[in-house]
Amino acid sequence: MSTGATALHGPGLTPDRMRIVAAACGVPRWAPRTGSPAPSASVVVLFSGSDDPNAASPALWMPPSTAWIDVTGLSDEVLGRTVRLAETHDLYLSLTTRLANELHLAGRIVAAIDARRPLSEHRRDDLELALHEAVSNALVHGNLQVEGMKGVSMAALDRFSSDLAVRLADPVFSRRRIEVVLDFEHGAVVVEVGDEGRGFQLDGRGGHGASGRGLGLISTIAESYELLDGGRRIRMRFAL
Amino acid sequence: MDYGIELKEQEAVVALRGRLTFNDHAKLRALIREMLQNPVKRQVLELGSLEFVDSAGIGMLLIAREEMGNADKKLVLRGAQGQVKRVLTVAQLGKIVTIED
Repeated sequence: MSTGATALHGPGLTPDRMRIVAAACGVPRWAPRTGSPAPSASVVVLFSGSDDPNAASPALWMPPSTAWIDVTGLSDEVLGRTVRLAETHDLYLSLTTRLANELHLAGRIVAAIDARRPLSEHRRDDLELALHEAVSNALVHGNLQVEGMKGVSMAALDRFSSDLAVRLADPVFSRRRIEVVLDFEHGAVVVEVGDEGRGFQLDGRGGHGASGRGLGLISTIAESYELLDGGRRIRMRFAL
Repeated sequence: MDYGIELKEQEAVVALRGRLTFNDHAKLRALIREMLQNPVKRQVLELGSLEFVDSAGIGMLLIAREEMGNADKKLVLRGAQGQVKRVLTVAQLGKIVTIED
């Protein structure tokens, strides 16, 4: 949990925007290049959008960074609220679909977990797969509203491929947000992944055709999982 | 994911490298079409340099198998390691596709 000693870091944002955001959420700015020492507790990293080159920098995903927020489309007030929410969790992400898709998000989340609770290589692979499946479901089926590959055929793959490209190019869909919340417990980490799609219902047909295996894979890796908010959010608990 | 195809007398060996995920839909479409067009019956996907596969990647491998079957070709998955090997096992792909070490 947060100790309150949080700072904002937004290398891709203008100094003016950073000043306004810092005032809106009551959190000081941190600019490493000015020589100020790293704040002891946590740094909330702000990205200016999917074209912010800083987002791909591995160093920004390591401690003391604990939260990563893409400011695209967020008013200063909403951004302030999001930063304060991030402070109440061990790790927190709120990114647009476009940025999350470009970042190989699951691998970065696993690296952030591993930096705090070192994992075996095997466990790291498994966690990456489970988180990747949850993130992919949120991005592809949730936010982009692209249906899975229904049949086992080129036609199904062609349709999936074309729908995905069309939706990623449409800002109405690709600016929808994915939220990831992580909290460490004794011997475990609880991860929630939420999207802004239409939700979904388990229909018991998973694992047929070329799609529908994601939740099955998650269930083999997570200690438990549950679907919340009409299927817009999955909460998974992993033993560490 | 990247791939390279080596045509031999008896088989086409397709080496996959990197990560095979839902984002590789366009590459898989191109690859499956290349495998359908080459003259060899036995199409071997060499997975030794594949580092990561997700559920959509499994789905696309199943589509490749189906399309090869429709064209009277045979798909073989060979040499999977680590994470890829475990996912193929968990997804019970061996029931549907020929898997070789």
